[in-house]
Formats: sequence, C-alpha cells, structure tokens
Amino acid sequence: MTVAATWKEKLAGHVREDWAREIDVFETQIELRKKNKIEEKLFAETRLRRGTYGQRYDNGQRSDGEKTQTLTFPSGELTKGPGTMWDAPGMQRIKIPFGKLSPDQLDVLCDLAEEYSDQILHVTTRQDIQLHFIHIEDTPDLMRRLAAVGITTREACGNSVRNVTACPYAGVCSTESFDVAPYASAITFFLLGHDDTQNFGRKFKIAFSGCKDEPCGLTNFHDMGAIAKTRLVNGELKRGFEYYVGGGLGSVPYPAALFDEFLPEEELFPITQAVCRVFGRLGEKENRARARIKFLVKKLGIEEFKRLVLEERTKLRPDERWTAFLKDLHVTDEKPLKPPAALGAGSYPKGFDAWRASNIRPQSQKGYVTAKVTLPLGDFTPDQGRAIADMARRYTGDTLRATVEQNLLFRWVPEADLPALYSELAAIGLGAAGADQITDITSCPGTDTCKLGISSSRGLAGELRKQLTVLEDKLEPAAKELTIKCSGCFNSCGQHHVADMGFLGVSRNVNGRRVPHFQLVVGGQLRNNAGSYGLAIGAIPSKRVPEAVKTLTERYVAGKQDGESFQKFVARIGKKEIRKLVDELSAVPPYEQDPSFYSDWGDPREYTIGDIGVGECAGEVVSSVQMGLAASEREVFEAQVLLDEGNAKNAAERAYSAMLQAARALAKDKNPDMGDTNDDIVSEFRAHYYDTKLFFDPFAGGKFAHYFFRAHEKRAEAGASKDGAHQLIEEAQLFVEAAHQCYTRIGNVVP
Amino acid sequence: MLSERFQIKLFLDPKSHVELEALVPVFHRFIRDKVLPELMIDVVDYSHVHDGPGVVLIGHESDYYVGKLDGVLGLVYSRKRAAPAPDARLKDGLRRLLNVARLLEHASDLKPAAQFRRDELTLRATDRLRAPNSADVAAELGKELQQFLVPFGGATVERIADAKGAVGVRAALKAAPNLEAWLEQLGGPA
Repeated sequence: MTVAATWKEKLAGHVREDWAREIDVFETQIELRKKNKIEEKLFAETRLRRGTYGQRYDNGQRSDGEKTQTLTFPSGELTKGPGTMWDAPGMQRIKIPFGKLSPDQLDVLCDLAEEYSDQILHVTTRQDIQLHFIHIEDTPDLMRRLAAVGITTREACGNSVRNVTACPYAGVCSTESFDVAPYASAITFFLLGHDDTQNFGRKFKIAFSGCKDEPCGLTNFHDMGAIAKTRLVNGELKRGFEYYVGGGLGSVPYPAALFDEFLPEEELFPITQAVCRVFGRLGEKENRARARIKFLVKKLGIEEFKRLVLEERTKLRPDERWTAFLKDLHVTDEKPLKPPAALGAGSYPKGFDAWRASNIRPQSQKGYVTAKVTLPLGDFTPDQGRAIADMARRYTGDTLRATVEQNLLFRWVPEADLPALYSELAAIGLGAAGADQITDITSCPGTDTCKLGISSSRGLAGELRKQLTVLEDKLEPAAKELTIKCSGCFNSCGQHHVADMGFLGVSRNVNGRRVPHFQLVVGGQLRNNAGSYGLAIGAIPSKRVPEAVKTLTERYVAGKQDGESFQKFVARIGKKEIRKLVDELSAVPPYEQDPSFYSDWGDPREYTIGDIGVGECAGEVVSSVQMGLAASEREVFEAQVLLDEGNAKNAAERAYSAMLQAARALAKDKNPDMGDTNDDIVSEFRAHYYDTKLFFDPFAGGKFAHYFFRAHEKRAEAGASKDGAHQLIEEAQLFVEAAHQCYTRIGNVVP
Repeated sequence: MLSERFQIKLFLDPKSHVELEALVPVFHRFIRDKVLPELMIDVVDYSHVHDGPGVVLIGHESDYYVGKLDGVLGLVYSRKRAAPAPDARLKDGLRRLLNVARLLEHASDLKPAAQFRRDELTLRATDRLRAPNSADVAAELGKELQQFLVPFGGATVERIADAKGAVGVRAALKAAPNLEAWLEQLGGPA
C-alpha cells in the first residue's frame, strides 16, 4: 500500500495556495526557532497569530500540592516564547467565523482531536473550537488539514482581529432585521491579514446581531458591534447597522459606545477599516492592561474618536472589496435538505417534551426549527462530533453553528423529525434539556488549562451542573430560566458580568493558607445584547458556591413579584441583602477541621496560586515592522533551501522577495497608505530611507540599499546561475540585517 | 507499526466499580512521586462527558485515559509522540499500558480498587496519514498484535467496525494471562 509521506504531500492541491504558503512559512519559522534563528518574543507573537497558544505549566513549573516541581522537557531550554518551554503542551484555537461549521469540517476537527489532542473538542465563548495539550510541532499538519476543509487558524490569538461572532440564529430568526451572516463572513476575510489590522496593541473583537433586544449577538461588550437595522431612504428600504465601538469585559467592563445609529451597509467595511487604523495608530502599546480599544474610546470620548475615524475614512484608498460582497448576500444561505413538516401527534421518546420545551426554537421559515445540543462545559468527543455531523447530513443537509453559550445548534430541522433527532442525540449522551438555562453553565477554561486562572471555573461549573441537574425536575420555571457564568479570573472569558449569577475566581489568605474563592456578580443582563453588567458583591469560598446558588435561587423564587426578572429582583431587594447572604457563607473552617476548603473543585492538590503564569491573551507587542523583518529573514532562509535544492531561479526570486518585504515593512511605517507594487515599494523606500540617509550604515553608507536597488533591476540575471543566486542571497542577508539595524537606530523597537 | 500514534485499551472488570473521580488524586500522585518512567504533566477530569476519555493523565510522550471511549470503561494507553522504532512501538506501548494497569490494581488510594479484564484488548492507530482506516491496515495491526499474544494461546482478532474513527482491531484472548506475568514476558515496565 502506498501512503503519502506527509500531510503536506497528501493535501497538495486541496489547500488554497495562499493558505498553504502561510502554513509552510509557519513551519519554517518553527524550524528557525529550533535553531534559535528567530527571537523568542517574535516567535511567540507569530505562533499566537496562528492560534497556537500557551497553557498552564508551560514555564516548566508545576505545583504538586506540596511543592513546585520542574517539568524536565526533552528540548531543554528551548522556548517558544518568553518563559514558555518548547515541549510544553499548548492549546490550538481554531476560528470558526460566526460559528458556522459544515459536517465535513466537524469530521476533520474530530480527527484532529483524536490524533493530536486529548480526545476532547471544546466550544469557546466566542464560537471557536479549541483543542488542548497539542505539541507545537504538530500544528502545521493540523493547520493543513483544517485548511483543506476551508478553516484557517490565522489570527485566532495575538494582537489581531479575533473570530468574528454572530447570532447563531442569523437567517432563520423571526426577530432579526436581516441575515447578518454574509456580512460577518465577508468582514472576516476582508480583515484577515489586512495591513491595517497588523499593528494593534491588543486584540480586537467583532460581533454581529440581527436584532437589538435578544442576547444572541452580545454586541455590547465587543470592540466593534453591529446590529442589523433597516431604514427607508427615499422610499427604498436600505440596510445598515447600528454601529458600536469600545465595548469590552475584562477586569473593568465597558459598555460599547454608539458610533452611528445607522451605518449604511456600504460603509461597514471602510468605517471598520478606519476604526482599525485609528486603533493601530493611537491605541496603547506599552501598558498592556490599558491597550484595548475601549480605553482609547474612553480617553478620547466617542465624539473625538468618531471624528478621527471619519477623517481616517477620507484617507482610505477605495477598495472594491468594500462593496463587492453586497452583490451576493446569498453566499451564506443554507438550503434545507428536507421539506418543512409539522410535528405529528403521537407518543414521543422519554425526555423529549422537556428537551423540546427548552432546546427547540421555531425558525422564521414555517415548519422548520433549530435544535440546540447542550454540551457539558462546551466539551464533546470525536465520536459524538462525528455522530452530530452525520445527523446534520441526514436531517438538515448542511450547517451547524457553535454558540457563545458553548453549545452546538442544528438549523433547518423539519419539526416532524424532532423525535428521531432527539433519540439519536440521547443515544450519544447529548439529549439533555435545559439549553441556556440554569444547568447550562458557561465557563472559561480557568485553572484547568489557562495560565491566568486563579480558581477552577470549570470545576465549579461542573459541580454546579451536577448538583442543579439533580434538582432540575423540582425547580420552579423561574429558577430554571436563570443563567450562570463562571470565569477563573477577572479577565472575564466566562462572561460572568452578563449572567444572572456570575462568578469570577479569586483567592483569599486564611490563617496563612490560600483558599480558592469566587466573587459573586449579580445584576448583569444578557438580553439586549448583554445590555448591562453586574457588579461583584463579595467573595465566597469555592466550596460554598453551590450553597450560595441554591440560597439565592430559593430567595428569588420565593420573593419575586409577577414576571420579575432576577436582575430586577436584585435591584429591588438591594445589594445589601445579597451581601448579607455572602457574609453568611464567607466563613472558612480551619484547615485541621475541613481541609477540603483548601483545595479547588476537581483538584485534590492543596490550593496555590503559584501556578499562575504570564498570560498570552495580550500577545506580544511586536510592531508590524518587526513582523515584516522577521518574515524577510525567513525568506532569506527559504532562498538558501531553494538554492540547495538546485533551483537558482526561484532562490533568486525569494532572496529578492525578502529584500522587498524588509523594505516594505520599513516604508509602510512612514507611509501606511503607500502602494503595494514592487515599484511602489522601491520608490517609497528610496524616498523615506535612502534619500534621507536614514538607512545608511555608519561605515558602509548606502551600500546595502544599493543591493536592493540592483536586485530590483537585475534579479533575473542573478537567477540565471547558481553563483548569481548565491550572491543575491548574501546581499539579501546583508540588506535585511541593515534593515534591522536601521529600525533599531531610529528608535522604533518596542522594548 | 507505521503509525507513530496509537492507542491500546485494556478493559476494566465491570465488577470492580471504579469511580472516575477517585482516579484524579491517584494520577496527581503519579506525577508528584514520578511513579511512571516518563514525563507526566497534568491531570484532566472529563468525567462529565458521555463515553469520553474520563480522567486523563497527560504526559509528554503518552497520555493515559481511564474512561469510556468506545462505550466501555477501560484504561487506554495513547502514544502521541517520540515513538520508538516501528518494530518496537507496540511492545513498548503494551509494557506501558500493563504497567499502569498493574499500578492501578495495587493503588491503595484507589477505592474501590481497579481490576482489569485480561481477555480483551483493542488497538487503534490514531494516525490517518500512515494508517488510514482500511481492511489492509487493520489486518497489519492485527498481525502485529497477535505476536504478543501467542505466549498466551493467541487471540481472535477482528477489525473494529467504525468507518470514520481511527482504524483499529479487537483481540479476544484465548487464555487470560496474569497481568504481572504478561508484563514480565514483555520485559517488565518500559
């Protein structure tokens, strides 16, 4: 039997050319880092921008509950980022734009979880899929296999535009103004790798919602949020967006500011591009804690921020992509497999009625429903995933959605098929009712795998789910409707600010010992796109949180007035009342009396905060010039490989491309609006660096710049012979080195 | 075996009633006391996932799961990187699997105690590049597995019917070997 030697070989021709090239480049960067030819900080940001993230203990230190032990990895001192050991397993974040997954994509994700990860796929609070405990050297093949089914991990982490999220009901929702999916899809690929999104000081998150009142889009806490809206203009119904900027959770949540009540659809891309440029230019770069756009908007005020954006808008060179996608807004439409059919009378499987009541929602298209698959803690196995993909093929024909509540959603299910679909889900352990209710708890990874985790949010969520599921049949309907969200620290990845009851991990010192706690956050609102944020009331020992949830729920059920939401109930009885409850539960027994308080949920080790590492959420501050120079170095290396393979012509072209890349990186720093042809780059570089002598070496003068100018004119000659190509590679090396020196000399290197 | 990644599973005796959560401190102890002759890194509890990996001991080269992958409770040895030479891989994996099975059977901090069935094994090659899911690959896997079962009377080996999962075989052993003797026969713990 003949088998391909590598995934690269096997998938040749099945991966978009530009994506294939990007992954090859990343693989080369891995090799260069192993040879210590790329600086670790730069490599860290490079891998983060490919979604390859660090995990807890990746500094090689781990507390075993008694003492901290060193994990002695085989690659020794080699790192993949500051304080991040090469061999330490990491997390791969996989962007799923607006959560849309095809069955074929899900199948591949399942294969990857089975082969490279720990048999678990995890849906995140931003509609991504994450795989944990992945070795960095497995990531290029993993990326190739994803790319072959149309998924890129590019810019899944790092200081970039993260996964664009959208309401999972887009296109089938009865309350939406219009389907936002084609806009979310188009802007994903417009901004992916865009020059104007490469120079951020922090990440940038975008969300779309089809309507204002429902919680599905959560636009209020995004860096940019767009809510679909229509307006009559000269008698014609025009599409646009209520456009927000500067929202965010984190330690201090900011509600998004209204930028425009009605941004016409034609202006969505250019205004977002202008927002990105202003953020890239004026956003904080050094103080990571204040580098999100929310701080910039707050500092400038929305009016001044808007003025700057509109001014920037006038400077943009027209781009046909701004409106090209509007010609085919049906590109994301889904064609149902089966005709609509109403649910017939009859006896249904056990558990079906409860599942139907909570997990099913009618579509705007009569006879079709959506069906939510509740995933415990957002986790599922490859076998479950393949079964779901198979169900999607047989019942709906096409897509699924990952949701921000960490579930999966079937769309276009004929209502008549629900009993059969339910039976199949129940058979694989995924027939639980209670979607988006009190047992369907959202949680970030917390101390399970996150370097920043303080307390075990997943441990707590799992315990609450277990205890509340037992009680579920006895719970009053109002109690069932409550939402719980848990974060392992103040960074809010579990979105605790917008739940009825939110919990964020903290630690407390009790009699000289650390005790895991959670702050109780109440008053948050999920509706109205996460309309308001709750506030922390006080800290409760982790082991007493289930008791707190039970007591609060009982108080609410017993004391609520007709139709009163939990948020209004809290406002009416006052936070002092809630605080009393917290105080009653705040006592921690002495260690000798009950040591269980001194360890966290699901983790028998004595609790410590010693395992907290340096988070990578913020990425590394690496300027676009530094990224460009690193890319040029890598191209010089690739040119050498090509020459070794006997391909002088391509080696010369690659060496020239390296010079071009370095020159472009420098020139763009001076003129972000410059053109992108080779002649443009040479001309801009000449004007800003050669004519000004900025590029001149103290000893060699303009010699290295001449190498570049000559290569631009005569690289074809160099490629005609091995010696010529060799010389060009040497010159490219010197030019790239000179570019580094120049950039340092002019004082631009971010410390 | 061409595949660098593979999983071997030994099934828990249904009578042993092992509770998954009870394995969490045991695996933490394995890390703390460096019980295994390889670098182990972390413990993850997936017991909330239906027919999932259960409780996972994460290592650098290998992971160990005690869970219900495939629907039946058992211990899975999962080789994920730095595998020995192709002709030594399976033997090495079996030794590691049996060693951990033995350690779990004797773990005084695991109550109720674990007890493994010795009459059945499964082997899956979790490497779709080198081991696509085909009858030929399954036959090769079965043949290789058989050689380690010959001293115990051999086994009936059949392909696991799972068109989309990783290729695999199930071996029903003709005579249930003693765990210690089996490990000894393979050369002791790897």
